[in-house]
Amino acid sequence: MNSQSESGAHSSQSGRFALEVTNLTFHWDSHQPTLTFPDVSLPRGEHLFIQGASGTGKSTFLSLLAGMLPPASGAIKLLGTNIHQLSAGKRDRFRADHIGVIFQQFNLVPYLTAEANVTLPCRLSQLRRAATGEAPAVATQRLLTALAIPESHWQRKVTQLSIGQQQRIAAARALIGAPEIILADEPTSALDSENRDRFINLLLAMAEEHNTSVLFVSHDRALAHHFHHQIQLGQVPA
Amino acid sequence: MKARLALSLATASLWHRRKVLALVCLTLTLSVTLLLGIQYLRTEVKQSFTSTISDTDLIIGARSGQLNLLLYTVFHIGDATNNIRWSTFQELKQDKRIDWLIPISLGDGYKGFRVVGTDDGFGEHFRFGRGQPLKLAGGQWFDGVFDVVLGAGVARTLNHAIDDKIILSHGGGRTSFSNHKNTPFTVTGILESTGTPVDQAVYISLQGMEAMHVGWESGVAIPGRTLTPEQAEGRDFTPSAITAVFAGLDRKILTFRVQRDLNQYTGEPLSAILPGVALSELWRLMSQFERALLGITGFVVITSLIGLIAVLLTLQTQRAHEIAILRAAGASPSLIASLYIIECLALALVACLISLLLSVLAISILGPWLLTHYGVQIQLRPLNLEEWALLVSVPLAAVLVALIPAFSAWRQGRSQGFGSPGEP
Repeated sequence: MNSQSESGAHSSQSGRFALEVTNLTFHWDSHQPTLTFPDVSLPRGEHLFIQGASGTGKSTFLSLLAGMLPPASGAIKLLGTNIHQLSAGKRDRFRADHIGVIFQQFNLVPYLTAEANVTLPCRLSQLRRAATGEAPAVATQRLLTALAIPESHWQRKVTQLSIGQQQRIAAARALIGAPEIILADEPTSALDSENRDRFINLLLAMAEEHNTSVLFVSHDRALAHHFHHQIQLGQVPA
Repeated sequence: MKARLALSLATASLWHRRKVLALVCLTLTLSVTLLLGIQYLRTEVKQSFTSTISDTDLIIGARSGQLNLLLYTVFHIGDATNNIRWSTFQELKQDKRIDWLIPISLGDGYKGFRVVGTDDGFGEHFRFGRGQPLKLAGGQWFDGVFDVVLGAGVARTLNHAIDDKIILSHGGGRTSFSNHKNTPFTVTGILESTGTPVDQAVYISLQGMEAMHVGWESGVAIPGRTLTPEQAEGRDFTPSAITAVFAGLDRKILTFRVQRDLNQYTGEPLSAILPGVALSELWRLMSQFERALLGITGFVVITSLIGLIAVLLTLQTQRAHEIAILRAAGASPSLIASLYIIECLALALVACLISLLLSVLAISILGPWLLTHYGVQIQLRPLNLEEWALLVSVPLAAVLVALIPAFSAWRQGRSQGFGSPGEP
């Protein structure tokens, strides 16, 4: 596997890295082939595009990064912390405090309103609640406005909203409380190309306001130009 | 803070799934109502049963077992082994320790109901329940020889009113071919419902009992020797024997002494029993059955709890996405497990609350109706310890049951990767 880490304009902005991956491997069980992942060093505030075809372990990679699967070998450091050396409870805590997530689809808790979905991280993490600098409800409204969700939709059940709106609400949830890292798993795959570019531009612009690094997984190479760095998964090692 | 989050998430989740869960809650409510109702009825029926007769210290009859004596005197089931001589009754009256006596003379029937020959003492001294006296719903106690007072159940079943003329039958059967045709009785009074066997009998004076049997010495009416009401006027109808006696003592402390004396009475073989003791012995015979009934109801509750797990486990597959989202946002597996426990507990509590309300409503509406139509006395009262224990055991069982989906959610939460479940 290759690592194509192009150094970007912001690489020396901070002495610390958002993400450091070294010698990472994973296998589901002994009968399946071991997945090997490229080494990555991502400076804080910079964005990484992770490209890979289906079945190359994109979601597995994100699970490892989020600390939800244990690696077979290698180390992952998020913000200087080796997350797999943390206890399970502390890993959950770390994720609540420092990571925002956006999934491919079904991003929202179906029985909560749009607003309640966005404030969810603030209720799970005091740190992110404090980082909003204001009442979470106010921060939520600001984010929803910025992401062009009409005010009439804020108190609606999320199941009544369009896919595009749901993804933008998920983005607002990932952004609230300014986490250092956002993990996005093909969040645009259900959107048309116009909505897709608008979504990525909005997400990256808002992430930059808070110096948040976005780790964006997609099979679609055409999106790579939005990001500072890119890596590719699933290449057969020479 | 986590507890508040778990509570608010669980509330929102319950509300979101209210249609499915309402059905589950309904089955649970019904089974809890059944459980509570049966337990409540058990205590009420036992209470009502053991207070079929009260304030009577001794029941005295011919020598027989205590259950037999109790059954034929109080419950009108079965027959007396023998009679007591009238002279013995007179002797009992002389006993200083005895406050009052109610003579009971049995043997005849009226359309399946027992005819009880007695005297004024019955209306005056007989008590049931918690010392309640008999009351007349209408009319007055028998005065003349051919007057009859009906129990509430008899009047209700046969639709009798005051001043109706009725013909009593010889022997206790429902259909009797030998009726006391020549001596019709006039209904002078109808008793209020008591919820005891008193409702299921008709009451005449000892004289009336004697008068209608004139000419029946051989067991059937001998034509020409029976009396007409006109001929009966002015004659003396002192009976030669009665069936049993209810006795009240001046000093309760002497009960056992009097009982022993009566059991050793030399004039004729007598048995004296304590009705309370005999009643609880009789109840013990039936307690196997009522315990079985409670056991069955317990299984009904367990069945509906199993239904609850089935629904929760089915819902769990729908909840995979939601759990993935919560986990990714940093919720711990135990928070997710606690959602299941809170939801299950809330359902059980709602079910218990509704079944309490249902029971209160049912008892306050049906109670008076049951008493007037079936003579069953069920009153609203605070729950006793046993009933509270049953009620509390339902949410506890629900929490235990919730541990199954909670544990599986906890495991799923721990092993689940990022994003859609099961996706590598």
